[in-house]
Amino acid sequence: MNPWAEIDRVRSQSTKRCHLDRRRFLATAGGGIGMLALASLVADSAGAAEGSSRLANPYAVRPPHFAPRAKRVIWLFMHGGPSQVDLFDPKPQLAKLAGQPLPESFGMVMTRRQVAQNPLLGPVRPFRPRGKSGLPISDFLPYLADCADELCVIRSVHGDSVNHPQSVYQMNTGSILMGKPSMGSWVAYGLGSENQDMPAFVVLPDPGGGLKGGPPAWGCGILPVAYQGVTMRAGTTPILDLAPPSLISQGQQRATIDFLQKLNRRHLHDRDGDDELSARIAAYELAFRMQAAAPELVDTTRETPETLALYGVDQESTREFGQRCLLARRMIENGVRFVQLYSGDTNGWDAHNDVESNHGQLCQRTDKPIAGLLTDLKRRGLLDETLVVWGGEFGRMPMSESGKGRDHNPWGYTVWLAGGGVKGGLAYGATDDVGLRAAENKVHVRDLHATILHLLGLDYQALSVLHNGLEERLTGPDEAHVVDDILA
Amino acid sequence: MTAPRKLSRALVACLVATVAVSLAVSRSDRATTRADDTIQHEALFDEASADELEIYDTDREHWSFTPLARPAVPMPADLKDARGAIDCFIAERLAKRDLEPLPEADRVTLIRRLSFDLVGLPPTPDEVDAFVADDSPDAYERLVDRLLASPHYGQRWGQHWLDLARFAETDGFEHDKLRPEAWRYRDWVIDALNADLPYDRFVALQLAGDEVAPDDPQSAIATAFCLSGPDMPDINSQEERRQNLLTEMTATVGSVFMALQVGCAQCHDHKYDPVSQADFYRLRTIFEPAVQVEANKSVFVLHEDSAATKPGHLLVRGDWRRPGAEVKPAFPRILNVHGDQVPPPPEGAATTRRRTALANWLIEDDHPLTSRVMANRVWQHHFGAGLCRTTSDFGIAGEEPSHPELLDWLASDLVNRGWSLKRLHGRIVASAAYRRASRVNRTGLSDDDLAESQAHMAHLLEADPANRSLGRFPRQRLEGEAVRDAMLAAAGALNTRMGGPGIMPPLPKELLETVLADHWKVTPDPAEHDRRSIYVFARRNLRLPILEVFDRPDANASCPRRNRSTTAVQSLLMVNSDFSLTAARKLAGAVLAGSPNDANEQVRLVFRRALSREPEDDERMAAVAFLADQTQLLKDEGRDAGSLARPDPMPDASGESLDVHEAAALVDLCLAVLNSSEFLYVD
Repeated sequence: MNPWAEIDRVRSQSTKRCHLDRRRFLATAGGGIGMLALASLVADSAGAAEGSSRLANPYAVRPPHFAPRAKRVIWLFMHGGPSQVDLFDPKPQLAKLAGQPLPESFGMVMTRRQVAQNPLLGPVRPFRPRGKSGLPISDFLPYLADCADELCVIRSVHGDSVNHPQSVYQMNTGSILMGKPSMGSWVAYGLGSENQDMPAFVVLPDPGGGLKGGPPAWGCGILPVAYQGVTMRAGTTPILDLAPPSLISQGQQRATIDFLQKLNRRHLHDRDGDDELSARIAAYELAFRMQAAAPELVDTTRETPETLALYGVDQESTREFGQRCLLARRMIENGVRFVQLYSGDTNGWDAHNDVESNHGQLCQRTDKPIAGLLTDLKRRGLLDETLVVWGGEFGRMPMSESGKGRDHNPWGYTVWLAGGGVKGGLAYGATDDVGLRAAENKVHVRDLHATILHLLGLDYQALSVLHNGLEERLTGPDEAHVVDDILA
Repeated sequence: MTAPRKLSRALVACLVATVAVSLAVSRSDRATTRADDTIQHEALFDEASADELEIYDTDREHWSFTPLARPAVPMPADLKDARGAIDCFIAERLAKRDLEPLPEADRVTLIRRLSFDLVGLPPTPDEVDAFVADDSPDAYERLVDRLLASPHYGQRWGQHWLDLARFAETDGFEHDKLRPEAWRYRDWVIDALNADLPYDRFVALQLAGDEVAPDDPQSAIATAFCLSGPDMPDINSQEERRQNLLTEMTATVGSVFMALQVGCAQCHDHKYDPVSQADFYRLRTIFEPAVQVEANKSVFVLHEDSAATKPGHLLVRGDWRRPGAEVKPAFPRILNVHGDQVPPPPEGAATTRRRTALANWLIEDDHPLTSRVMANRVWQHHFGAGLCRTTSDFGIAGEEPSHPELLDWLASDLVNRGWSLKRLHGRIVASAAYRRASRVNRTGLSDDDLAESQAHMAHLLEADPANRSLGRFPRQRLEGEAVRDAMLAAAGALNTRMGGPGIMPPLPKELLETVLADHWKVTPDPAEHDRRSIYVFARRNLRLPILEVFDRPDANASCPRRNRSTTAVQSLLMVNSDFSLTAARKLAGAVLAGSPNDANEQVRLVFRRALSREPEDDERMAAVAFLADQTQLLKDEGRDAGSLARPDPMPDASGESLDVHEAAALVDLCLAVLNSSEFLYVD
């Protein structure tokens, strides 16, 4: 009998009753506390074996909980919060009401910059039905429009905070608090990686820097630091301290590491094969392999001109983001488990003043590269097993700000998925008439997370770690729901 | 348990008055404020108690909720190698498991262990020599005393406390704004530990320094503990911010001082522990008057400016927008064995004195948790794991201690000896358990003895893989701070200046590009870059890479026990970073200054400075061979002086036989030794 299961069972009952049951359980389970202790002993010995294999090779491939629909993830994070009503969620009613205040029927609205009373701003550019599916996408995204039949657009995502950092954390870690493990870390922890020469979770930040909330967005929280996102850049030094210093030649370094490993093996020999010390020897070998593998991964010189053009690497305005999209494909292709790309420096998609100008620029920079990525993944047969996620930390308000801008909106916005295991050409869920709040088939951020984990063959309940007596999981303590209707 | 809920107003008034008068009196007299059970229940009655879950006797039986009492020291038939009471408890468990402990470690191992443990630095070669040569019977005790008296002690153990305090010098979140005075709290912790401020006082000042010692500005600084967590001064609702701070602070206080995860009860009653949601908000209400926020201004210390009290409220599902039933300030019922109360402020008081009441309650001699929790934390840092390994969760879901009676004995000892932490350290490190070997040392063993020792060790590892019976000393990896400090110390570069604002050593430019321009202004004086890691500016959103890869916590939540990871990114930093190469060059420079020409002697000096020991013959020969091969490799590569990493300082080239390739090879040897497992682990 599993006492934790017993506790979970009673937990679902009313609070008061839960406590009574807990006590009854403790009182009747024949020294109930002893049972709990036993459970923790059992967990410990299992944990010890598990711990030592994780130590020796944190990226070893681990089986999913059930057959996965996708094996890898590319997450395109549009930092600042792109506007759903101007990109993927057409609102004719908003166009009609433009210039007028939000009808009173919508009630109180919590906003970051007190814009609730401002006049509504109609969609900035027109929408058109695209592809065979007729999925509407606005004129901001002409290239992506050609991929409409691949997209599964969830229009009813909602979160809990009107502030950037809290929402950046929530979208990445499930919690508006700082310091919880990010989704990439959870996935790396749960599945390991098919590439043993590279970290399992790679982050490609915007070179402009300034992500609101900073590196905790890809932090590992309570999970081992091996699962933290490792930031990489294009260029010759893609990882911090990857290359030997300029005054140390490669041959010289290999000789030094060989001598070091000799010292370490001798040290290990006198210490009964201590797992942790073996792991350290392995880590130096992995480091050495990464020195060769990582620059090779980011070296795009052998890509064909046609491929480079597909991603927009040949054009000034799309070069930077195109290059990173191409790196993402190269990593996925080489078995890296989870790649996250950020678009947008410290201001990013945060279109407070002028949606047309802000989104005009950012869509121009990202539209062709993202369409190129989807196209390239598909023609290489990678899209079936790769889940592509697009979204920001929140969306934007239907009300205007400073005339032509929009304020933050966590209450209803769009995230789209494409590839492994999701239905293409689908719009799922809906916001209200003006795009203010999620209204139909609402998908909370934790539901989105549960769904992504599900696609990867991971049960969001089971992917948990006991910490300070509590089970920590990506979706937090509240119940989450896998959005079954979007699964292919 | 049913008790009449209603009480006449007159009786309440009378009770309140009694409590008010007795509040001002000393701890020894406070017993008079304890009401009998019935009255206590009535006085605590608030709106939220109406349908609150009750506490049952079975709840109170949980090991950590029982009042602290000093257990008798067992006298097992086989006392093994016992040196004192601690060892009697340990011998009892070893005997039960039929385990024979390892013998005492050798002297070199002991001084390296003690030095890293007590001051966070390696012993100098001279210190090692002196200790090895000292055959007086109290050599060990004098070494311990010297280390505990060193100012480095506070710098070492202060970091353990700052981990718990989720200390950083910035706010975190988007702007990660500077808290210009935060370093004063870091210095307060270091000074307090160095002065061996009794732990009860240490607790009281951090919760209520402003009330307890109103005339001493240092004491108010101690309350920065409560507000050291992340904060978002530019949040659009300052009320939300204040509520977040209160909730976070209450959860942290519960977790740090009581190892009770009360924060789990902020939305609903605790899942496992007998802590109701009302219990949480009653505790939180104690802090309410002391948290004041102003938009866009960082917080630093607690501050109250009035004794006027306002009612507190439970928040429905933890949502600050939904205040629920009214609650009165009170201590968690499960721990309140004497029914102590938070009295109203006395006549003429400048503040509510609620936090003083909380502190006084926590530091009562028989408080079930305060001393147990701290004794266990201290044990954890000496042995790598607590007697109870869930050091911040002594609740139902936490783990039971391996030696519950030993833990109680240590906790009582802490209290009985004036809450002195240094005395507790002294007790623990004096034990035979602490002095044990972590491995079989081959040196000087005959083949037969070696085989027997190895069989013994194999049995210990198999019978007790997690070392819960403490038959051997557990090997421990250095924390990031100790790795960095030890590299600086071995290189002879460590700047031991104490105190003052945090310093910012240079960062790799790739990292600088990811933060706002004014977030990392490198300290102009390069000598400051080599100060101990505890003085490195603690930016919440950016940790120094060497500290981060070696698991420095992110200061977003109290960290009771660090991860201990082994990663390739760690290895890359250790072999390739500027910091490592600089340390290796300085170590080589110091070695060359000691022996410019003799490779054997150079190897010996590298080992002594970095590993605190002499090389064995085979190691020395291997290292000398490496120097020769590496010198040849560099020559074969046709490297000229300008293309080589040379020792710092490079001795005057006038020395006839000093070859630049040999010198560069020595740098590589130093780099290898600084990267070695032996450098990073303590036996």
